[in-house]
This record gives sequence, structure tokens and C-alpha cells, in this order.
Amino acid sequence: MSSRSYGLQEPPSLGVKGKKRYAMVIDLRRCNGCGACMMACKVEFDLPLGVWRIWLKEENRGEFPNVRKVVVPALCNHCDYPICVRNCPTEATYKHADGFVLQRFNRCIGCRACMMACPYNARHLLPGERTDPQKPWGVADKCSFCVHRVSRGLAPACVASCTARAMIFGDLNDPESEVSLLLKKENVSVLRPDMGTAPQVYYIGLDEGGVSDPVSCDKDRSVALKDDYHAFKKNHHGLQFGDILEGEKDTSPLGFTRQVVGHLKDFTVDIFEKLGIIGRH
Amino acid sequence: MEREIVSNAFHHANWGIPIAVYFWLVGSSAGSFVISSLGWVFGIKKFKPISFFASNLSIVQLLIVPVLLVFDLGQSTRATHLFPVITGFWHASAPLAWGTALVASYPVGMFIYSYLIYKHNEYWAKIFGLIAVIQACSTHWYTGITMALNPSRHPNHTAMAALLFLIGAFISGIGLLNIILKIRDYFVKEEDKVDPTMIVGLGRLMLVGLCLDIFLVFSEFIHMTYGTEEEFHVLELVTTVFRSPVMYLYIGCGLAIPLVILVSPYGKKTNGVLWASGLIAVGIFGMRLGWVGISQYSQTIF
Repeated sequence: MSSRSYGLQEPPSLGVKGKKRYAMVIDLRRCNGCGACMMACKVEFDLPLGVWRIWLKEENRGEFPNVRKVVVPALCNHCDYPICVRNCPTEATYKHADGFVLQRFNRCIGCRACMMACPYNARHLLPGERTDPQKPWGVADKCSFCVHRVSRGLAPACVASCTARAMIFGDLNDPESEVSLLLKKENVSVLRPDMGTAPQVYYIGLDEGGVSDPVSCDKDRSVALKDDYHAFKKNHHGLQFGDILEGEKDTSPLGFTRQVVGHLKDFTVDIFEKLGIIGRH
Repeated sequence: MEREIVSNAFHHANWGIPIAVYFWLVGSSAGSFVISSLGWVFGIKKFKPISFFASNLSIVQLLIVPVLLVFDLGQSTRATHLFPVITGFWHASAPLAWGTALVASYPVGMFIYSYLIYKHNEYWAKIFGLIAVIQACSTHWYTGITMALNPSRHPNHTAMAALLFLIGAFISGIGLLNIILKIRDYFVKEEDKVDPTMIVGLGRLMLVGLCLDIFLVFSEFIHMTYGTEEEFHVLELVTTVFRSPVMYLYIGCGLAIPLVILVSPYGKKTNGVLWASGLIAVGIFGMRLGWVGISQYSQTIF
């Protein structure tokens, strides 16, 4: 079988003696959507407003009285064949021998090629303004499977905080580990298997969900979600491509021109900020 | 069944309008340079009078590019990390690593070629011109490849990306060159003015590229219509949210109207070609906007 490992990637360590191969199993039958994983992660890494290393995709399905809520925690899938690693021009992101896909902030230039490459939308750019200026900014960030905790024998923050014990983390090379047993016992699936990335976050009960169906998610955005998003955007620069556009006003030639001009204006201001000629905000 | 998304994350606006402008500029630069090389490299003598001007124009266009790219980085001061000579590491599997090498070396090649034309050194101009033409095509080919090598971005992940970029570059480059040549005429002496037949000749070249571009776009649309659900979703985006840059600006203003102008008798007159040139140059910018923007928008759905 041909290998899909190009560039700075360790070959997959499944079954290799003496090596770890960390993976996560998320049991959606147990997940109650409390959001403790999100909160724990935000606190662990002091993540700024608007970016997440792990987040919940929540969806209401059905018609009254047959309504139910579906929740899928989403995070970096620590793929065995990560496209982000393949496409990073500065080797800032790499595949660790133990299965982690990690980010070296000191090498990252913030070109966002990895974000373009990621099929899971799991990467984000840390904004220029941080509460603690010593923290990384202007670089791509992602879930690290809490490598700093795992290397000390602790579970990742999201796993440790999961109130329903829906997230299970462990070594797939250990046949007695809980993740290995679950993968043998349960019917698991992964997000976007068509991308050929061999994700290492496995879901139980994903086929019963519906949130994983990307297109239908986009077609039926709720009003509340749009409002939340626009409220968030008020704290940030201008309108960008990819923003949720509503109605004829924004998709008309005039509306589109307004967006283009606005975006270029923000970019020009950004140049002066980066040169230190004007202060940030 | 009714569905309502309650929450999701939005990590999607990665590459924006500065990158679209960069694609447009580097494409126009490549197009101008190919025209410049027709006279000195490929021996078509009637294009020789505009070679020097076209080559310098493509250098100017390309000099704006680093400003856009460097200041679009999250960490602009670390742009040096892209150069293996400085850092000692080079990630060969990344398209941007190759792109950096091309974008950095292409202006040097053009400078040498321009200098040799200036000195009327026919022999070396031909050799260095050929090298620079390969650099020009590669530089623009790589921009298409950079977008195409992202399998999750359905509008971009097509083997036709590089070709679409190259053909678009060729026609927008000629278009912009025609316009700037006309503007130049207002500032130069009577004997230095461009021969109107030259502009008409460039218009004929543009027509060939235009037909090829329309064929590629048609193929791409068919592909999307018979594609997966995600590809069909891209088609929906093209006809709804992004209809201004793609349907109106690119296909309408950039392809359909110039085609009508160029195949009509008006297309054999200078004014007709100039109108078509302007429309194509603006229309191809719409293609670049759509190309970058749709991929950002379609990624929000994951």
C-alpha cells in the first residue's frame, strides 16, 4: 500500500512496538452538550474571544413534538496524513511520532496555508491583540491533544472535564487501553473520511447525528446563530469574505463592492499597524 | 426534516481580498511578460516595439506583490522564514515554499531580460527571455496549484485550476497592457505612439485566450452540476452569494461581452479592442475574487 506521508510527517505509529499512538473516542450517546470541554480548553490555553480549539456543533432536529438536540464536539483530528502539515511552508506544524499534530509558534509566519488545507476547520489564527502580550499572536493555533498534560501522565483538559465521560483518550498501541477496547467493541466513524486524512478522533453514534452533514448545516442556519455571529463581529475589523451575508443588499454588485473596498481599507490600516506607525486599536 | 443549527465555530476567513489582488496582479504580470517575449524570444517582429514597455510593466506589477503577501501574514517580520538561505529549512511538500522561490526569482529574471532588451543584445535576450517566460508561467501556475492542493476546498480542488489561472492571466495581462499602452500614448511623442494595428493584433490573441477560458469555465460548470453534493453547493454559492463577482463580473463582464465585441466588426477597431481589454481585465479580477472567496465561504459549513 502506498504511503500518503509527504514532507515533515512521521509515518503512522499504529502497531509499532515501543511507540504510542494517541487517539480520542467521543461517545455521542453520552454527550449532553454541557460545553465543559470548551470551557476547560479556553481556560487551559487562555484562548481569546472568537477562537476555539474545541467547540460544539449543536443542532435541533425534527418538528414539534418530535424534537431532539444533536451535539458533536469538534476539534483537530490529529490525522495520520495531515494536509496542514504537508502544506505548511515553514515546517511550523508537524506530525509527532506519538500521533499528535503539533504547532511551533516560533516558526509560524501566519500565512494560513494550514487553515486553507484543514478539512475540519480546526485551525484558527490567534488575533493580534492578546490580554497577555507575552502569549503568541498572529500565528496559527490548534488543538494539541494537550501534549503538555499527556506527557505528564494527565488526560487532556477536555477529557478530564467531560461531565458525561463521553470523551475517552488513550494509546491505541496498548490493546488494554479503553480507546482500543472501544474501537474493537463499538461501531465508530470519523469526520470526512473522504479526505483521506485518517483522522484519529473517532465518534460513536455519529451516524445518528446529522451535524456531520456539512451542506445541510449551512442551508439552515438559525437566526440566533447569525445574531451571535454578528454580535461577535462587532468587536472585530470590518466585514470579511466568508461572513454570513443576508439578503440582496449584501450580495448585490453594490454590496459586494462595499465589502471589497472595506476589506482593502482594513488591510491598509493593518499595514500601518504592523509597521508600528499607528497603534493597535 | 427541519433543522436548526444552534452553534458552530467560524474559523474560516483565511485568505481575503489582498490574496485575490495578488493573484490578479501576478497573473497580469505574467500575461504582459508573455507578450513582451513574443518579439525578442519567439521572433514575432511586430511585437518588438512594445517588448521593453511590456516587460517593465510586468516588473512594476510584480513589485506590488511582496507588499500584499508580506503584510497579509499574521507575523510579517517572519517572512524571512520562507527563505531557506536564511533559515536553513525548506519544506518541499508545501506549494508556498515553491511559490516563494518563484516569486523571488521571477523579477530578477525579468530585470535581466529588460536590461538585455535595453542594450539590444539579441542573443542573450532570447536566452534569458525564455528562462523568464518559464518563470512567468510557473509563477502563475503555482498560484493555481496553491489553491488546488487543498482537497477540502471544493471550488479550488480541481486539476483545471492551474490552467484556468494561466489562461485568465494571459488575457487579463494583454487587456491591462492594451489599456496602459493607450494611456502611454497620451504622454509620448507622435513617433513613439503604438501602432493601432498592434492593439488589434493583441485583441486577436486575446480572443483565442478568451475562447479557451470560456471552454474551461463551461467544463468546470458541468463538473459542478454533475458533482458531489458539496460541488453542487459550490454551484449554488456561485449563483447566489457570489453571483456579483462570478456571474456578473467574470462571466458577464469579463467573458461574454468581450467575446461579443471581439467577434463583431467592432473587434477589429482599436476602440473595440480597448473596451474588450478593459472589461476582461476587470472581469478576471472578479474571477480571482470568486476563486478565493467561495472557498472561504464553503468551508464555513464544516
